[in-house]
Amino acid sequence: MANVETALKEATTTIDGALGAALVDYGSGMALGTIGGSKDLDLSVAAAGNTDVVRAKVRTMEMLGLQDEIEDILITLGSQYHLIRLMKARGSSGFFLYLALDRGRANLAMARHQLRKIEAELEI
Amino acid sequence: MTTAVSPLLTRLAAERATGALLRDRGTLFLEDGRVVHAESPSTPGLDVLLTTGGGLAPERWKEAVDEAGGRRQVARFLVDSGGLADGELEICHLAAIFDAAFFALSPGSGPSRFRRGATHWIGSVRSVPAEAVERETRRRRELLDAVWPYPLLDISPVVPRQAAPGQTVTTRQRILLGQADGVRTPADLAWVLGRPAFHTLLDVRRLAAAGLVETPHTRPVPLSAAPLPDWITEAQSPDVALLRRLRDALEASL
Repeated sequence: MANVETALKEATTTIDGALGAALVDYGSGMALGTIGGSKDLDLSVAAAGNTDVVRAKVRTMEMLGLQDEIEDILITLGSQYHLIRLMKARGSSGFFLYLALDRGRANLAMARHQLRKIEAELEI
Repeated sequence: MTTAVSPLLTRLAAERATGALLRDRGTLFLEDGRVVHAESPSTPGLDVLLTTGGGLAPERWKEAVDEAGGRRQVARFLVDSGGLADGELEICHLAAIFDAAFFALSPGSGPSRFRRGATHWIGSVRSVPAEAVERETRRRRELLDAVWPYPLLDISPVVPRQAAPGQTVTTRQRILLGQADGVRTPADLAWVLGRPAFHTLLDVRRLAAAGLVETPHTRPVPLSAAPLPDWITEAQSPDVALLRRLRDALEASL
């Protein structure tokens, strides 16, 4: 059992290369909690923008008729990884975890694994 | 430079005030200048988000209010009694605060009054800086207009339209459209679905932009006078906001 702040703190301390993390409300595009970030990476702006990324992918899946769920979305930049993990919420509203990683220091497989663990601890 | 959403809220935050900021469309509860809770008759409350929208049994909510309402520790009781996970409560509570604040701080919400020292029975969950609430409220207004700038949609019955050939509708949209019977407004739908009202406004604007919902061009005729919200009738003595609502309701039924 964890609250939002401890879960995000765990994400940035235990995951190698983490630059920042946010828990985002998909329905409004609002970050319910953020940690890390910098002048170059405004996590509130990233939260709102990545909501559009998730919505576009959900719509594409419907167009393709894929009867499956998105577990995570990876965006690879020259120097960073951005990882979006959709949370399985009990209710009808959705949330996702957003994690920015330094590409030079991150281990992508480990990061995905740890993010899954953090989601489980949040227990939504 | 952007102007403050509510100059009074800015001032109360600066003087680290504790109490309830009352406006026509909602109430913000402050503790040491930070927002600890918010309610609005325009949005489903935390109870609806947790029960209809979440996994909490309505009896558990009622039990918590009965047992811990007097002590003003309903939130604590829900978690301690095992009815709800810490994270779920916190997230739903935050969603409820920002949702209610959006309506309470809306431009047509009338004058503000502050009841110093007033607290809410939900108890302490998490607090957010008043500045964050103002910033988010402003972002939400801009987002609605960026999606589809037709504010009449927010107060009109939602009338679905046939999807164009080949047009896809997502599961989330399908659920909303399934409840839109041509009478329910976005706020009504929010209650039925157990979703925050702002989320429903946004979904409806997106649906209208995609042509899946009619965009109204005339104001809806009110069917009946709006019932008085609980936050006014249950907890407080008559005040200006209440009297104004009463007058409006009486005039509407003439």
